[in-house]
Amino acid sequence: MRRFGRPVAAAVAVAGLVGLGLLAVPAGAGAQPELPPVTPEELVRSVLEAKPGPFAGTVEAENALGLPALPGLPAAAADGTSTARVWAGDERQGRVQLPTSDSERTFVTDGATFWTWDSDTREVTTGSRAAQPGRGPAVDPATAAGELIDRLGGSSTLAVDGTAEVAGRPAYELVLAPQPTERTLLREIRIAVDAEKRMPLRLVVLANGSPDPALRIGFTDVAFGPQDPALFTFTPPPGSTVRTAPAERPGNRRGAPNAQVRTVGDGWDAVHVAERGAQAPGNIPDLDRIGTRVSGPWGSGRLITSVVGSVLVTDDGRIAAGAVPEQVLTEALTR
Amino acid sequence: MTAATATGPAATVRGAPLGRLLGAELRWVLRRPRTIAFLVLFALVPVVIGAGVAIADRAGGPGRGLIGAVAGNGLVLPVAALTVSLALLLPLAVAMAAADALAGESAAGTLRGLLVAPVGRLRLVVMKAFGVLVVAAAATLVIAVLGVLCGLVVVGWAEGQMVTLSGTTLGFGEAMGRVALAAAWTTGQLLAVGAVALAVSSLTEHPLVVLAAVLGGVIVSGVLAAIPALSWLQPYLLTTGWSAGADVLRDPLPLDGLGESTLRALCYLVVGAGVTVARMLRRDA
Repeated sequence: MRRFGRPVAAAVAVAGLVGLGLLAVPAGAGAQPELPPVTPEELVRSVLEAKPGPFAGTVEAENALGLPALPGLPAAAADGTSTARVWAGDERQGRVQLPTSDSERTFVTDGATFWTWDSDTREVTTGSRAAQPGRGPAVDPATAAGELIDRLGGSSTLAVDGTAEVAGRPAYELVLAPQPTERTLLREIRIAVDAEKRMPLRLVVLANGSPDPALRIGFTDVAFGPQDPALFTFTPPPGSTVRTAPAERPGNRRGAPNAQVRTVGDGWDAVHVAERGAQAPGNIPDLDRIGTRVSGPWGSGRLITSVVGSVLVTDDGRIAAGAVPEQVLTEALTR
Repeated sequence: MTAATATGPAATVRGAPLGRLLGAELRWVLRRPRTIAFLVLFALVPVVIGAGVAIADRAGGPGRGLIGAVAGNGLVLPVAALTVSLALLLPLAVAMAAADALAGESAAGTLRGLLVAPVGRLRLVVMKAFGVLVVAAAATLVIAVLGVLCGLVVVGWAEGQMVTLSGTTLGFGEAMGRVALAAAWTTGQLLAVGAVALAVSSLTEHPLVVLAAVLGGVIVSGVLAAIPALSWLQPYLLTTGWSAGADVLRDPLPLDGLGESTLRALCYLVVGAGVTVARMLRRDA
């Protein structure tokens, strides 16, 4: 016992250490799956046409955009990793749960009615689906990638750059890169498209000057197939406050009516210039704390930069924003 | 007579039956005043949280976070109390039990008696580990049971249901299942702490070293996890998975975090057990 026991016990301890190491190594990073070749145009079209059907999955967003901490922004806008649990049903049914370490926000729609729940305030907001501006939370990779392909098609090179494995499923890597003449902060946008269902599974935004992604949103786990219908309805729990969302006219988005936006340039280096107009002062965060003071022939103002874009707020109430460096913003203001 | 002499040496090595050993250890652990004091302290945790929430609930709206979720929703109280206690209090209790088990006996000079007693070394380790297990299980059980009782009596419950963090409601039976899951998961994490503490305990003669090592380890893990440059270290730290306890309050129940942290605890448990056995097989009093 004493002779053989010690080596065995030591081996057990080492096995535990090895197990710990195996647990810590991230899964995936496997070989690139073999898939039949596809042209970029075909791939984009199949994505826009695809009807992936019901699915359940987990989406993880790794944010390194370097956005300044503004009051009122959701916690997911700050740098870091956030998770969403997503369910999609047959007809415009969906459920998204955003867990944090000790609370959760839930968004549910059955196609006609939507509910939102916040465990911190125990408030349920409900309303009819038509009143909800936009199509669900922007964290859904399908929507996010589709919009990007539509908007950036003209001034970019589009290519299929090999394959990848995302959430255990083989996928094509669609790469959208700006033409060399575009003066943008972005380097490329990579979208992993599921080979079978043609649904975007992962969106990666890469900026100039950094090998690490500025933003990576993707499924870590997805399963297609029929979902429990009970997931797409919501009964306010006892003890909660239920508010009915005011019915909004479609197209009347917040902040849009009294701001006149004009776009200078097009493609990746487009700059949007807006007149701030007569907005309530409460809507403007205290810029003195987050921006740097800049001035030039166009006037003076505060510049707020992030990894993927810049915003210039001038003292005379103009706002210029784009995925561009400061110089392009100031040129757009002088024009 | 010949039969007796033939089984004689084997009997001296095998010694007393395991059941009797474990029974003796159980009595010894549970009769110790400090164990009883700790269990009473753990019984107070849900009572204090429940009373605090009930008073705050009357004064104003529900607070934020897990404690805030307890207001008017008493069946969440045991889970909240377990999560709060797991941060420091429960590891402290387990470390104390493990410190007494080997280092404490060594310091008091009684380990010598155990080592020369007709008890195999492996059995001795099993017996001592059982003592630590009893303390860990008793502590979580006290918190869970008192949490449920206190939740129902002091805080009150939402029509016999548990409101999850996801906004759904669970019936009483399923809610009890969730509490049991939280208690079992917490016990698993504590066993990992206990195994490592027992390993330290087998390496030293000073019980305080065990307490310092375990509490230091928990605190340092928390500090390391807060340093962004060391984020690669997080998957190796036991404390990384400790926020998964709140997952039992989500619906549908996500098992990823609970499963992963349990596997990690299992690895720590195996390492601790291996080191303890390897050391105790050779240890002289």
